[in-house]
Amino acid sequence: MSDLPIPTAPAAPLIIQEKIPLIALAGQPNVGKSTLFNLLTGLNQHVGNWPGKTVERREGTFTFEDHSYNLVDLPGTYSLTANSPEEVIAREFILREQPDVVVAVVNASNLERSLYLVAELVALPTPIVVAMNMIDVAAQEGIRVEPEVLEAALGVPVVPVTATRSSGVQDLMHILEETLGGKRRRKPNLPEIRSDHREVLAEILRQIDGLVPSPYPANWVALKLLEGDAEITRTMQDALSQEKWAAVQGVLRQHDDALLAIASGRYEWIGRMVRAAVIQPKIGQITLTKRLDDWATHPFWGLVILAGILGFVFWLTFTVGSPVQNWLDTQVVGGLSQLASNALVNAPFWLKGLVVNGILDGAGAVLTFLPIMVIFFAVFGLLEDMGYMARAAYVMDNLMHLMGLHGKSFLPLFLGFGCNVPAIMGTRVIDSKPARMLTILIAPLVPCTARMAVVAFLAPAFFGPKALIVSWGLVLFSLIMLVLSGSVLNRLIFKGQRSAFIMEMPLYHIPNARTIGLLVWQRSLSFVKKAGTYILAMAVVIWALSVLPNGNLTSSYLVQFGKFVEPVGRWMGLDWRLTVALIASFPAKENAIATMGVLFGSSPNAGLAQTLTSTFSTASALSFLVATMLFIPCMATVAAIRQETNSWGWTLLDIGIFLLITIAASSGVYHLALVLGA
Amino acid sequence: MLEQLLNEIRAGGTLETGKLAARLGTTPQLIEAMLEHLQRAGLVEPYINCVDGCQGCGLREACQTRGDTTVRLWQSKPEG
Repeated sequence: MSDLPIPTAPAAPLIIQEKIPLIALAGQPNVGKSTLFNLLTGLNQHVGNWPGKTVERREGTFTFEDHSYNLVDLPGTYSLTANSPEEVIAREFILREQPDVVVAVVNASNLERSLYLVAELVALPTPIVVAMNMIDVAAQEGIRVEPEVLEAALGVPVVPVTATRSSGVQDLMHILEETLGGKRRRKPNLPEIRSDHREVLAEILRQIDGLVPSPYPANWVALKLLEGDAEITRTMQDALSQEKWAAVQGVLRQHDDALLAIASGRYEWIGRMVRAAVIQPKIGQITLTKRLDDWATHPFWGLVILAGILGFVFWLTFTVGSPVQNWLDTQVVGGLSQLASNALVNAPFWLKGLVVNGILDGAGAVLTFLPIMVIFFAVFGLLEDMGYMARAAYVMDNLMHLMGLHGKSFLPLFLGFGCNVPAIMGTRVIDSKPARMLTILIAPLVPCTARMAVVAFLAPAFFGPKALIVSWGLVLFSLIMLVLSGSVLNRLIFKGQRSAFIMEMPLYHIPNARTIGLLVWQRSLSFVKKAGTYILAMAVVIWALSVLPNGNLTSSYLVQFGKFVEPVGRWMGLDWRLTVALIASFPAKENAIATMGVLFGSSPNAGLAQTLTSTFSTASALSFLVATMLFIPCMATVAAIRQETNSWGWTLLDIGIFLLITIAASSGVYHLALVLGA
Repeated sequence: MLEQLLNEIRAGGTLETGKLAARLGTTPQLIEAMLEHLQRAGLVEPYINCVDGCQGCGLREACQTRGDTTVRLWQSKPEG
């Protein structure tokens, strides 16, 4: 605990000396104002609070070439409108204390942001000098600012400095001396307000002429009244007679859009300054990003590229991942099963069953699709790292808007492509409770990585060379269901209300192998942990249910349960085993594979995939895949839905909706496939 | 220019600072500065409701701050 006394608000400047020039440092936060202040004053500074405020006040003195100066570091402000205590302090100091010169510190690497304050400062009577800081940062970003051109455009002196390296400070001091000595003619170019508001400004000026209290300039007060500045409005209300104030108010009421017109004029002015003085990098990363984005964010080609990338991911999975998965399934899991069967030939039946059917065939089958997961993680990690995923969100959001889905619903839904849980959590951004509830309800329709991996495992087994088109179609089918639900949501809840979502695209960059490697490692590890815990436990439970109560599968609890739900499964073309596998995917989607592993087993002669191919018709296979994509979300997602809706009623309703959608869609697909002769 | 930007936002949809800059004949940096202005004026709000942080989010690159308080995703606020 510090024993230092708590600074109190001084009634008057603490160490400012009269008869020596007073310089004020103004600027937005984080432009290096304080660095410049410390550089100039060194230890001759005092820190306190502004009178009546908790805003820090820093002032000091310094000497340059035998001349002494007072220096005040004004609070960082974006403008001189009374939006915050800092802004009121800064402008009141400039207007009341009337410093001899104001140094406006700007960030050379982002003049667009810094110049707004300058646009307000040049309209005040106090002389200003622009200290263009962070020249080094601008140079690193390939931005070149021409100080002479900016000076000519602004009509006030501009000095490039790099405060962190003490560079340019002497030049700044020489310019300040010249300004203080009256050697610099002050002829600032002022921002203009839109032409249709100039007459309004003139009318306000006429009304307040001669009635503005000192030290405020009448022009500035008229502008602030039009901007709706609360402090100045109060001041003028007190200063004017009731009739006069009513007349001013009448004009202001008719032009309540003046705030935007004035700010707009300032941004036009900033745009002109930047066009004149800033040379943006013509080559390199920015140009490359722009060229790539002409395609990647194009309303049509952007979608084609996105669909192509998705197709490429599946192609890579089937070309590289599936053979490895198949090898692991037949040679490793099948081989280990055979080995364990031989080793445990004299062991109790339950031990052999647990190891071979429960652990190896169940959880082992899930582990075999690690190569598929690694490919998913690596490709999506690569796309994230090179900056493509923001473009994917942009083009998808565009499409969703065309179909009437509300923008605020989309971003949480987009997050669902990785995992539905953050998608559910992300709906907190939606202000309207009913809209949020309905977005939560449809979020699980977004195909998550686990569901896509299950599809990537099963599609080649069921459909061989047509797996790519089937997988693609399944993702598209899920998205169509999502968009249909979203459109209904939009019409019922948002009632066609439009909202905007504004993104700043990151620059494309060369992906970092280490970053991607780390990401793949972390996600793969997480998958293996999941397989070794939840999925293993579930596989053991499924196995136990398949042998209890008397060690016979045909009379087991699992078969009894399977036979009980089979009538519903039959509508969808699923036998009891596929129906049980589908239900078992509730705790985690990968459990569908684990359950099939337990029920069908693996051997070196035929892996799980081959067994499935020879067992089920194309119509049943397609129906099962559709059901997998649409079935009740996993347990973690249901828990997130319960947490976010804070209602078991909503949660159970969602489960019911997904059951209905699954049964309806899968039955439809199954019967359509039969009609088509599949 | 600020009014044009606001009109674009009020028309709704997905907007991107680079494309907005091209449409309004200015730089993406000026669009960002204006968005921050509109944010201070309470007309747009930053999209910062990523409750679980950035882990696993495909938009991480787009919205992570650059070491200061810059927010790089915005959404319009309901009118009224």
